[in-house]
Amino acid sequence: MKHRILAFALALAPILSVFGLSRVEADSSIARGTAAYAAGDHVAALNLFDTVCAEYTSPSLLYNIGNCHFKLNDIPHAILFYERALRLAPGDEDVKANLELARQNVVDRVNELPSFTLGSTWGRLRGGRDADQWARRSLWESLLFFALLAVGVLAKQRTLRRAVFGASGLVLVATLISVAFASFRHGEVTDDSAAIILDPKVDVRSEPRESTTVLFVLHKGTKVIVLQTENGWSEVQLANGSVGWAPPTTLERI
Amino acid sequence: MKRSIHRWLIISLALLAGLGGHAQEIGFTAAVDRNTIATGEYVKLSVNLTNSKEGFEAPSFGGLVAVQGPFENSSFNYVNGRMSSSVGRTWVLTATAPGKYTIGPAKVRVGGGIIQTEPIVIEVTKGPARPSDPGAEQGQSRDPNLFASISLSKTKAYVGEQVVATYLLYSRYANIELSKYELPKMDGFWAEEIDLGDTNWEDQLQTVNGLQYRVAVLKRQVLFPQRSGKLRIAPVELSCIVNRSFFNRGSAVSTRSNAVEVTAMALPGNAPADFNGAVGELGMVVKADRTDVKANEAIELTITYAGRGNLKLMAGPTLDFPSDLEAYDPKVTDKISVNASGMNGSRSFQYLVIPRHEGEFPLEPITFSYFDTRIGSYKTIQADPMTIRVSPGDGGPVSAIQRPTKSDVEVLGKDIRYIRTGDLHLRPSGDRLFGSLSWFAGMGAPALAFVVFLGWRRKRENDLSDVAGSRRKQADRVARKRLSEAEQALRSSDRGAFYDALGKALHGYLADKFSLGHAQMTDAIVRERFSAFANGEVVANAFLNLRTACDMARFAPVEDRPKQQIYDEAVALIGRIEQLVRA
Repeated sequence: MKHRILAFALALAPILSVFGLSRVEADSSIARGTAAYAAGDHVAALNLFDTVCAEYTSPSLLYNIGNCHFKLNDIPHAILFYERALRLAPGDEDVKANLELARQNVVDRVNELPSFTLGSTWGRLRGGRDADQWARRSLWESLLFFALLAVGVLAKQRTLRRAVFGASGLVLVATLISVAFASFRHGEVTDDSAAIILDPKVDVRSEPRESTTVLFVLHKGTKVIVLQTENGWSEVQLANGSVGWAPPTTLERI
Repeated sequence: MKRSIHRWLIISLALLAGLGGHAQEIGFTAAVDRNTIATGEYVKLSVNLTNSKEGFEAPSFGGLVAVQGPFENSSFNYVNGRMSSSVGRTWVLTATAPGKYTIGPAKVRVGGGIIQTEPIVIEVTKGPARPSDPGAEQGQSRDPNLFASISLSKTKAYVGEQVVATYLLYSRYANIELSKYELPKMDGFWAEEIDLGDTNWEDQLQTVNGLQYRVAVLKRQVLFPQRSGKLRIAPVELSCIVNRSFFNRGSAVSTRSNAVEVTAMALPGNAPADFNGAVGELGMVVKADRTDVKANEAIELTITYAGRGNLKLMAGPTLDFPSDLEAYDPKVTDKISVNASGMNGSRSFQYLVIPRHEGEFPLEPITFSYFDTRIGSYKTIQADPMTIRVSPGDGGPVSAIQRPTKSDVEVLGKDIRYIRTGDLHLRPSGDRLFGSLSWFAGMGAPALAFVVFLGWRRKRENDLSDVAGSRRKQADRVARKRLSEAEQALRSSDRGAFYDALGKALHGYLADKFSLGHAQMTDAIVRERFSAFANGEVVANAFLNLRTACDMARFAPVEDRPKQQIYDEAVALIGRIEQLVRA
């Protein structure tokens, strides 16, 4: 995957050189963005972080962008980026704290269904700061499993051989768990059904066209689940279960 | 009972008849002092009823407005047995718009009939733009014997700067009684009364326009303009009763003063941040009764503003005490006097500060900004910085062990947490390990490696388990090695070594080939083994022949053939045996 992207990028390099952003450039942009943020120039910081975000991603980067939006008093975008960061790194304390603060500015109080509230330890275990951690773990475990099997095959002593095979059995179970988690996380990270309302006020209607019955009114910053889209309209579901159609470009998927 | 009522009736009738004979004719008149006025001027309407005690109905004013009245007067004369009485009411009327106004008839019910007065027409002309402000010191008054005026200590002032307004009444009447006066509403000013004490009338006489007047100070006020612009003080209206004596009910005289205007200048825009509206000639003193205390002992911090200015409007300073100092709301003490020179004195804010923990607490220097009217600009006074040193409090004799009281960390504000700095662990967007080609490769590679490992191991195990086979396989190689040794010996003409190597080559080769021990290499067994092969007999004979020849040559110096020939024969024989075994 990486190589294919690299090959693609190399092939298009002459055309895309304006847009392409090498890792070194990205790092320098982030350093400058951090300095601008420290100096209080949140607009400049946001621009720099955004250019990096076009090609790279990381929970910390999304978190920083969310902070910039918050400082510029753009609460809906702040929430959007915090949610994105939290999706990549569930249970991140900083992101959760800032998201909590940003949500205090949201007008709508929708009775949110209790989400996975086993705490941040579970969140870190589940996701950590790296969306790929379970996939990587599964690779190491599979390697360890076969290595143990090989050792067991080679072992001459009966008790040693038994112990090694037992251990390899445990590692196999761990591998399967890791794969299951990796698959779960993959589904979670690629899930874009949630969205944040960006418009100050959105009339949610009963059908996906104008001048139908307004079912309820949402305000910026509210999180909804997008069930389906039609002609740009999105069928949204609130945490309390209400469903209706929101007009195009009033929300952005997380 | 019935008799007594009759008697009363008779007496009353007789009295009425007697009086009636002497009664004068009833008169009922309404009069105005003039029929033409300008807007804002006044007309006096008097209605008089003579020789009747009936109450009369007031006339309608037909659009005119009664500013004063009614003043009631009545007189009763008894001259030479003739009795006359009169009751009257007086109004002061005015009009705000020009036009013709008709004062309606006044009515009275006398002896079964109704008497009414003639209606009066008043013509109101348009007066001067500001009729009440003739520009002269003298107020609007027709009566040259009485007028009022308002005088100001200054007519131009900054917003918040004090202006003293004095309300004066000038009178030439010997006897004057203020029946009513109304101070104008102060629009745009904050007013503070000056206490005049007991004496109202000033001693000295004052000459205005050649006439001598007695001057009374009705009131003094300190005015503080609250907004910029031209602020107008409306005229003061007053009505007096003059020349009242024991015999005379006196007559009502009303007058109104001039109107005055104060030009209030806005304060400059470059106000310091801590400016909170203090204007005047002020100063500040900050005093703490002590700065070295023990914990939980009180400190009295006094901030005193003194001078001339709007002291009563001054709010306390906003002090930022360190959170470990407990400060109470200040006690405000005023020593403000308001007199003819304005408002002076001091206002103190006394803060009670109790340090709860030991340590050094530097207080931020207290600053005070005000607008100095003398120099016309803002001034900021900064008090000396102050540090409160708090030593540990007394344990006290009762509680020998005093635990420091724990207090929660105070949350003073809320903000988001800071951004992440340093390495953000960037990854290209959309690059996911799970499900990618490299992930599958990574998962498959160990399995593949393991399978390969198993295959290699199986083969090796097979080989290990077949010792004879491997020996047989090795036989040719070992024999060749020995033969090459023999060849070397042949070249170096080492006879012993040659036959030794050659013998061993043949012997070893066959032992390996047939998996035989050295002890088993007897002629019989060799023949038996070869017999299994076709032509085995011939080969067996050749082998045994050659072996014998070698042995013979080794131990006895007998050579039936040259060494080279024996060597060639051995090589050929091994080749034949190889072919034989493989076939």
